[in-house]
Amino acid sequence: MPTLTIDGRTVTVPSGTTIIQATDQLGITVPRYCYHPGLTIAGNCRICLVEVEKAPKLQIACYTPVADGMVVHTGSEKTLTARQEVLEFLLVNHPLDCPVCDQAGECELQNYYMDHGRYEARFAEQKVKKSKKAAVIGPTVVLDQERCILCSRCVRFTDEISKTSELGIFNRGDHAELDVVPGKTLDNPYSGNVVDICPVGALTDRDFRFKARVWYLSSSPSVCPGCSRGCNIDLHYVLDRPYLADGARVMRLKPRYNPAVNQWWMCDEGRYGYKFIDQARLVQPVSRLDATAHPLVWDLAMTEAAQRLEEAKANHQLGQWGVLPSPQMTNEELFLVRQLFQERLGVACDGRVAERPGSGDNFLITADKSPNRRGLQALGLAGTGGATLVERAMAGELKGLVVFGHDLVALYGEAVAHKVAQQVFLIYVGSNDTATSRLAHLVLPSAVYAEKEGTFTNCDGRVQRLVKAFEPLKGSRGELEILLDLARRVGAPLPYTTASEVFSQIGPVVPAFEGLTYGTVGLQGAPLTTAQAVSV
Amino acid sequence: MSADVSALEPQAKEILARYDQKQAAMLPLLHLVQEQVGYIPPEGEQWVSEKTGVAVVHVHEVVTFYTMYRTKAIGRCHLQVCTNLPCVLRGAESVLAYLKERLGIDVGQTTPDGKFTLSSVECLCACEIAPMAQVNDRYVGPLDRAAVDRLLEEGGHVL
Amino acid sequence: MSFEPVLSRRLGRAAGTWYDAYAADGGYEAAKKALTAMTPAQVIDEVTRANLRGLGGAGFPTGKKWSFIPKNSSKPVYLVVNADEGEPGTFKDRYLLERDPHAVIEGMLIAAYAISSHKAYIYIRGEYVEAYRRFCRAVEEARAHGWVGKGAQGVWDWEITVHRGAGAYICGEETALLTSLEGGKGFPRLKPPFPAISGLFASPTIVNNVETLAAVPPILRRGAAWFAGLGTPKQGGTRLFSVCGHVTTPGVYEAPVSVTLRSLIEQHAGGVRGGRALKAVIPGGISAKILTASEIDVAMDFDSLMAAGTMAGSGGVIVMDDTTCMVKALWTAAKFFAHESCGQCSPCREGTGWIFKVLTRVLHGQGRPQDLDVLLSAAGGMEGKTICVFADAAAWPVQSYIRKFRREFEQHIATGTCDLTRDYADAHH
Repeated sequence: MPTLTIDGRTVTVPSGTTIIQATDQLGITVPRYCYHPGLTIAGNCRICLVEVEKAPKLQIACYTPVADGMVVHTGSEKTLTARQEVLEFLLVNHPLDCPVCDQAGECELQNYYMDHGRYEARFAEQKVKKSKKAAVIGPTVVLDQERCILCSRCVRFTDEISKTSELGIFNRGDHAELDVVPGKTLDNPYSGNVVDICPVGALTDRDFRFKARVWYLSSSPSVCPGCSRGCNIDLHYVLDRPYLADGARVMRLKPRYNPAVNQWWMCDEGRYGYKFIDQARLVQPVSRLDATAHPLVWDLAMTEAAQRLEEAKANHQLGQWGVLPSPQMTNEELFLVRQLFQERLGVACDGRVAERPGSGDNFLITADKSPNRRGLQALGLAGTGGATLVERAMAGELKGLVVFGHDLVALYGEAVAHKVAQQVFLIYVGSNDTATSRLAHLVLPSAVYAEKEGTFTNCDGRVQRLVKAFEPLKGSRGELEILLDLARRVGAPLPYTTASEVFSQIGPVVPAFEGLTYGTVGLQGAPLTTAQAVSV
Repeated sequence: MSADVSALEPQAKEILARYDQKQAAMLPLLHLVQEQVGYIPPEGEQWVSEKTGVAVVHVHEVVTFYTMYRTKAIGRCHLQVCTNLPCVLRGAESVLAYLKERLGIDVGQTTPDGKFTLSSVECLCACEIAPMAQVNDRYVGPLDRAAVDRLLEEGGHVL
Repeated sequence: MSFEPVLSRRLGRAAGTWYDAYAADGGYEAAKKALTAMTPAQVIDEVTRANLRGLGGAGFPTGKKWSFIPKNSSKPVYLVVNADEGEPGTFKDRYLLERDPHAVIEGMLIAAYAISSHKAYIYIRGEYVEAYRRFCRAVEEARAHGWVGKGAQGVWDWEITVHRGAGAYICGEETALLTSLEGGKGFPRLKPPFPAISGLFASPTIVNNVETLAAVPPILRRGAAWFAGLGTPKQGGTRLFSVCGHVTTPGVYEAPVSVTLRSLIEQHAGGVRGGRALKAVIPGGISAKILTASEIDVAMDFDSLMAAGTMAGSGGVIVMDDTTCMVKALWTAAKFFAHESCGQCSPCREGTGWIFKVLTRVLHGQGRPQDLDVLLSAAGGMEGKTICVFADAAAWPVQSYIRKFRREFEQHIATGTCDLTRDYADAHH
């Protein structure tokens, strides 16, 4: 294990570690454009040149392996001069687009110029003109060739990660241009990632284009609910500028690094599937006993729900009630469903509900489009056999059904859904307007994942935290609050107030969760004790 | 192009056999396509992609990187005048100016009758006969006005 | 010129020397000796003691390079011949390929044997169509006579693939050549690993220049001591110098490596044309730092020219008389570098373009007072920062022309023109 000195600090690292990996470990920032830990090394930008004693020339930190006794200076005059020279070259043909470029505020040319540049610009010639400016090259990405610094990260991405090889660098010298093959588009399930890795505004996101300046954005870590992979994400949102993006709060999603789940990447379907957070939300409880919808205040809605259950209890009819929990719910919510309905009230909870069809790939996307099926299963709510609750409802065996989010119309068709609604008192707990929410007798608007503290269990049995970014929209409420409130009203109060409390109580009861708390799960997740990599 | 591809198959097979790995047949296969078609069309890139196992985008990268590959047809007689230092020292710019005058075109253009295309190129490493040019495959030089006149005369009869 | 020609023996025959004539002139005797009477280690030793240095331009000791091949490699060993001659002012490899191809083939065979290679590729620049055709013909002749193919002399199986480039000067850089040979753009590679460890197809590879290999058969025929004795203590033998520009008789001239630049110009190439005064000389291809007329009493070997602040490079001598505008000359060089930069790394890609644009303005009378500082700063910024030495090669002319002919540049900037009048419009604007 070589021991070396970087900026006066001694460090011992495994053989084969590069200088830039060593400096990253030490928390010393060496600037980089073409280097990305998830891609092969290109070594072409030259901004990571550092001084290595006894070497005849400056060495690129991204490629040079450390050696025993090596002495590196990342901030010496030689290093800083070289950095400034490289920056000057990169800016020679770079357009002065900052005022109109989405990358402003998160642009590595801007950042490094402020940190290491700040020279008098001397280039006073005509900049090279390139073919494509603000050109749509696919459904998700816009290309500006003049801004491109030809680091080739995106080319390596489409070769090595998406393995779709759409992007290339054509011509040579300062006429080199990044582009797709003539006649083709950048269109693969992971295309949005090239925008993340582009250090400048050459590749920008069509969905995010001109929506907001990035310095207005706040960030909150979470987990994508689009499938059972549970890619770690950051929600980027704005709360105090309703004139942006028609008042939507979430502006975009970005993948968050997790080596055990999604590394640096996420798929396009997950990335762009955030609109439901702010669109078509249910924001007020509704009662629908005749054909018309009557808005209710929460107190009355909860009273109605509690009365129905207490009536059933009094008539020994709780056995004719059912609950359809959802694999979209958090572990905490599912645990409360189990405790309240299954254990205290003796109501059947059965997660066997049709799923919308989907396919996976051999990278991140799974065929199971729900984020917490493993949680549902681990918590014993996945059903035990016999007829499903929907089948029993169709057969007239049920009097009441609590549906958590499932759109029965989309899953089973109008005929089945209407029949079920005729047979039972249908309570719908969900976040977005669906054909089923328009059928239900009592609608309780719930929160979306971004508005909750909670955890999901991904396809590999990894439990991951959602951090609440903002309050539930308008009149919606978290399922946790709804269930705790209901429990109190039916005389079966549960001893929790926060999601964290609920979660730490799961382990003692469900062995798979043993030892897990929000502290041990952290922001990179932790596996169930029974975790095996299972693709669901 | 598809009609021509079958004609190229035997040569392609022979070329591929010369290389330890098939992607190394990239440059010779592109030369083959260009000799057949006169330039490299998208179908040609697709064909080379299949033969070499290299993605089309990277074939196109190669086509646009090297000076000798072209994606459009040119005149029957390609006059590639060297304008590097040893040739400039011996009058290359006068030669080029005279050619522009005689042909009525600028560098990078083709005469309307499709006979001549005029290009300016870097060192062809024939500095001993400077100022010189490559005419299709042939090196010619030293060039003076008389030599250019003779060249254009015979070039008019080039297939 | 009282020495016996070694490399240029048969270069006077424009139609080329073919198998029978080559064999009659002692051809393939060295190969036979190597294959049947020497071990590979002995061959390497002989070439090492001859002080043969790479004649493509880098001047690396050839025998030492061959010795870098790992013994008992599980991967095949490749010999790659760099026939991508592209350095402006140089044309000697073309002469060898067209007029004495068997000398190159024989050198290749000996080299392949020495490094235990059974497969050789020769990468000939795409524009050398005649050289390509003639070399292919020679390979087939060699094959017909049992020198190429299975069991050369019953000793060594080896094959040659003759490969054409497609027009990119950068492919003369050995790792760019390998990347091009593998079917890619001519992008030089990050080093290490060096080709001897991981080269063509990630296998041990030796890349040698055409002329270097042509020197190998004479070394084996007449001995290392003889070859070493022709040159200096650190560089043996003779060299083919390509002399061009403002000389009476441009051409390929062989001389011992210790010949002076003055001798090459005045005695070999007939002196400056028309008896004009010499102004400047580039001694080793366009990348070499320029020498003034008073600096030509320097020996042409690698070490002497390095000590004189320039380089021997490819041996391409470009002579400029007093009709030459140095601003124009530098502009022409800058045009070349901007055109040939592969574009992979930022300092070179942007720097070569920037330098060319500034010089274009200066040449056309739109220079500004700070332009020389900008040029020198851009050149200095490129040096030592890139994946390969192309950027350094692009920087050196800028630095040396401005340093040695500064007055001319200042005059162009101050007055918009220069006061050289001449007969040929070309030396001026």
